[in-house]
Amino acid sequence: MIQEVRVINRPEVPDPVGEEILYEIKQALGIRSIQKIRTAKVYRFEGIGENEAHLLAQKLLAEDVFQLYTLNAPAIKEARAVIEVAYKPGVMNPEAASLLKAARDLGLSSLLAADSSREYGFYGDGIGPEEIQTVINRLLVNPTVEQVVAEKPATLIIRGVPGRTQLLPIRDLDAQQLLELSRDKLFLNLEEMRAIQNYFRTIGRDPTDCELETIAQTWSEHCVHKTFKARLIVNGEEKTPLLKRLQQATAEINHPLVLSAFVDNSGVMEFYHGWAICGKVETHNSPSAIEPYGGAMTGSGGVFRDILGTGQGARVIASTDMFCFAPPDISREEIPPGCLHPDYLLRRVVAGVRDYGNRMGIPTNNGSVHFHRDFRAKPTVIVGAYGILPKDRCKKGKPRPGDLALVIGGRTGRDGIHGATFSSGEMTERTVEVNASAVQIGHPIEEKRMSDAILEASAAGLIQAITDCGAGGFSSALGEMGAETGVRVWLERAPLKYPGLKPWEIWVSESQERMVLAVAPENVAEVLKICRRLNVEATVLGEFTADRRLVVTYADEKVCDLEMEFLHHGLPQRVLRASWKKPACAEPALPLPDDWANLYCRVMSHLNVCSKEPIVRMYDHGVQGTSGLPPYGGIAQDAPNDAVLLTPLYGRECAVVISHGLNPVLNQIDPYWGSLWAAAEAVANAVAVGANPKETVLIDNFIWPFPDEESLGALDRAVDACVDFARATGMPFISGKDSLSSTYRSKDIMLKIPPVLCVSAFGRLPDIKMTASADFKRAGSTLILVGKRNPAEMAGSVYYDLAGCLGNNLPQIDLQVLPRVLQAVHRAIAAGKILACHDISEGGLAACLAEMCFGGDLGAEIDLPAEARPDFFLFNETAGCFLVELGEADPGELFAGIPYLRVGATRPEQQITVYQDGKELFRMELKMLKEAWQKPMQKVFG
Amino acid sequence: MKPKVCVLRTDGTNCDLETCYAFARAGGDSRLIHVNSLRHKEEKLADYQILVIPGGFSYGDDVHAGKILAVELTSFLKEQLEEFITAGKPVLGICNGFQVLVRTGILPARRIGEISIALVSNDSGHFECRWVNLLVEKTPCVFTEGLAGKCLRLPVAHAEGKFYAGRETLQKIAGQVVFRYADENGRPTQSYPLNPNGSLEAIAGICDPTGLVLGLMPHPERFVEHTQHPNWRRFDSFGEPPGLAIFRNAVRYVKER
Repeated sequence: MIQEVRVINRPEVPDPVGEEILYEIKQALGIRSIQKIRTAKVYRFEGIGENEAHLLAQKLLAEDVFQLYTLNAPAIKEARAVIEVAYKPGVMNPEAASLLKAARDLGLSSLLAADSSREYGFYGDGIGPEEIQTVINRLLVNPTVEQVVAEKPATLIIRGVPGRTQLLPIRDLDAQQLLELSRDKLFLNLEEMRAIQNYFRTIGRDPTDCELETIAQTWSEHCVHKTFKARLIVNGEEKTPLLKRLQQATAEINHPLVLSAFVDNSGVMEFYHGWAICGKVETHNSPSAIEPYGGAMTGSGGVFRDILGTGQGARVIASTDMFCFAPPDISREEIPPGCLHPDYLLRRVVAGVRDYGNRMGIPTNNGSVHFHRDFRAKPTVIVGAYGILPKDRCKKGKPRPGDLALVIGGRTGRDGIHGATFSSGEMTERTVEVNASAVQIGHPIEEKRMSDAILEASAAGLIQAITDCGAGGFSSALGEMGAETGVRVWLERAPLKYPGLKPWEIWVSESQERMVLAVAPENVAEVLKICRRLNVEATVLGEFTADRRLVVTYADEKVCDLEMEFLHHGLPQRVLRASWKKPACAEPALPLPDDWANLYCRVMSHLNVCSKEPIVRMYDHGVQGTSGLPPYGGIAQDAPNDAVLLTPLYGRECAVVISHGLNPVLNQIDPYWGSLWAAAEAVANAVAVGANPKETVLIDNFIWPFPDEESLGALDRAVDACVDFARATGMPFISGKDSLSSTYRSKDIMLKIPPVLCVSAFGRLPDIKMTASADFKRAGSTLILVGKRNPAEMAGSVYYDLAGCLGNNLPQIDLQVLPRVLQAVHRAIAAGKILACHDISEGGLAACLAEMCFGGDLGAEIDLPAEARPDFFLFNETAGCFLVELGEADPGELFAGIPYLRVGATRPEQQITVYQDGKELFRMELKMLKEAWQKPMQKVFG
Repeated sequence: MKPKVCVLRTDGTNCDLETCYAFARAGGDSRLIHVNSLRHKEEKLADYQILVIPGGFSYGDDVHAGKILAVELTSFLKEQLEEFITAGKPVLGICNGFQVLVRTGILPARRIGEISIALVSNDSGHFECRWVNLLVEKTPCVFTEGLAGKCLRLPVAHAEGKFYAGRETLQKIAGQVVFRYADENGRPTQSYPLNPNGSLEAIAGICDPTGLVLGLMPHPERFVEHTQHPNWRRFDSFGEPPGLAIFRNAVRYVKER
């Protein structure tokens, strides 16, 4: 018998959960008949009686000060409807383990299983059943992981018997049958399927399901980056493969501070005092598109584990998040079948990043959100993480024969099966249905304690090698770690969340919060002891061998026996054709604006310019006590800074700088210039707070449509831009990732999501004092525009977008001038000559100026040159330019030899006045601009 | 002799390192102690002079923030805690630690197992991370000696920080309120976001009647260096960071006893 405890706030106490949903019902759904919502938590317990359930209710679940409870009886009374929403069976509810622990601590040893869920009571006279259904479908339930509970479950325990391993007779399949086998499951092409077929023909047997899954995972685009490694024929001529181009540029730059590039789970550069810092940026688009909360959580969790799995273990010190969505007010009819609305996606992705980072205690302090309607079929969700580790343990470790393989952290379940292969495939209307198992709910506390254990074991020198158990699960982690040696795995030892998994499911499951360590046999006992003390499960799962084979058994059954040589080198190199033709984009002839005030407000409230503060306030950006520059600063804490500065070594002044840049719109016109813009923007953001370009490194993330000839041609140009940028500035790319599945296909439509290159920059500074913020500091200072730009290059700008056009003449960043500009700005900040600095990006000089005014509670006047076209001058978005507030310093001295222009001065009045050639063009109250700028996200987040 | 500070941690504690540093900076000898080490008697609370329960999400804040840890402490460490408090040693709970102190009953009245106040979900319904003004009330609190009447700035970062109690309890603890959320002029306020969570009577932190136990939602450990202030570049100097003053007071109290 299951005991049900329901807990509800006392009537006089507010119910913020209910109020938030009510707001969304009114705001997002426009339903007015629902007047009030009360919520209750529902707890279910199996294995205890009524008395024990009362005890749990009183001691654990309900606090008498503000709550009431019922046992096996309704708690929400007199509502028009009561709906209970729970995780589906098999989706692990992270709260269940805490309920079991607390019950044990209270002495209730007979409790077998526990679960929790939430009930919503709807109040209002005219509520119709179809309105309730709309609320359920659109706000309360994501059917991928949740369900409405119609009746009390009979049991909470998931039972099952382990399945057997099957042989898949592929030796005799024809081409059609091979492709059928690959579809929706293996995501391999015919040539690759044939390579597998030939291998098994040669060794004279058929593969097991586990072997086929292992190969598909190892050969997935997600894991092996076939496109980036392919032989590439561009417009008829062979060019160096994409990845090699990036790596060659990094090798040629031979940066003295780079300690590890492209070989480990993240890129590593030298810090100070015997420490190194590392960075990794990942995409998590496919899972986030079908279950944004779980998808974003597991995205954060995965990238944190990449940092944790760098060298012999690094501590995560920062998290970043960059998103692209369709506008949150886009009409529902425009959303393709099988896709979720961006308003829901945005709020749920933010909640996922928030709940993972905050609970792990990792400050999320750099990010951005971009909106474009072409993201309506699939969002772009990028999450980054940065870490610190001792320099002498920063190189990727190699397991030695005889070392043992330990799995540490969470248990293995059916969740996330086929994540690696799935995320390499395109999104279709079938995606949600077929691949529901590819998403799970993250458990940040599991990852936090695992991280605590790993860092302790690492500090004690007990770890030989470590890797994340992410995409591809054990198959990927052990297959890669043992690639040079061989590995022998006893799969039946893997701790499971519930029984009933087939061996291949255990092997490729992507259950989160697991890592694999290679540990010398003599150190295993000590590692296990640390884990036990920190409530972390750790199990010896295998042993590294010297036979270069991947051998996996499940009890007495051999489920996988493959040569590492075939697994890692048997994949046929793809030969891909690429061609790129510049799309025909017309350059508009816009008249000069007549209503400047209205225009300025519209620019400020454009989704790609407006304040994202409501999002940032939900992220803990101060945890770890390392913040030296918050994401939003200034007098009212509401003005954005360009990058984050952290002082990760307590009591020391040395700092880490982190920033990023991306621009999907420009890539639609020309990915070469769009990508240069992204790289320049990333670095300019870092330099605007004081970064030294000579001590800054880069990370690339290509989020591209499926690489057909045209998209691949665009990708080729983007990679060329990265290489040119790195060579010109001396800043190497030291880590990167590509995700080439931004295409949506259904019966009727094919949609290419705009190609995105996100460039992240990170670096070091000897002293946090040698940095700057963006808020104006005092009235009467001189304002200098620094950097080279051609104001007529307006294509892709917010200004053009507001006029309904894209344009053709896009900003072409001058790689000869840019490095000198960056160096000059850095030098001026380091010398303490600059009071405030902000980089120019979306919304141009006008938006930049307004944000600096908001921060300082100061106004400004600027005077445009007589020959300038005023709208272009104000709204041009060329990256790599800065607006600088100068104290007494002489600009001629600071910026000798680079383009700069004295544009105006700060003023005590709360307004911005724009002159041209001494004549007033217009003036604007700051208050109006700020309201326009803050409104859009306030509307989404309430 | 530096006072020994027990920085208590468990699954999901995440402000432990900076709290350790803050006490070290204030002259303490701080150690990270896992609750399991106390449960398994590898460590004894009695060997320490100051106890701090830092911020974070102990056990994921499941059921209620801090609840699972509070149940664990009440079930297994009740005697050790009572002994520690009775010995007149300072106890500090920051954010999640404040929630734990409230849910064990150590605050407001040092009665373990008797819960009379609550920290509930923010009125905004979600996590809030921002700097706030705090008015320091005149109380016997040892952590705020010399700060009464001042208005400090510290950051908050929490989703369940609304101070809630019945009217009778509020009256009873009136003299124990150490911090209130305040406006720019130092006046207690109910207006959002100055009062970031809707706390009744703008209460941000309270002490027990002796002043030795302090619990607060804001994070003093995040402001023990100048450059941690979000706008440090706007000031030449602003004296000792108030977070540091709170830790120093505790260390000084123990040294002078």
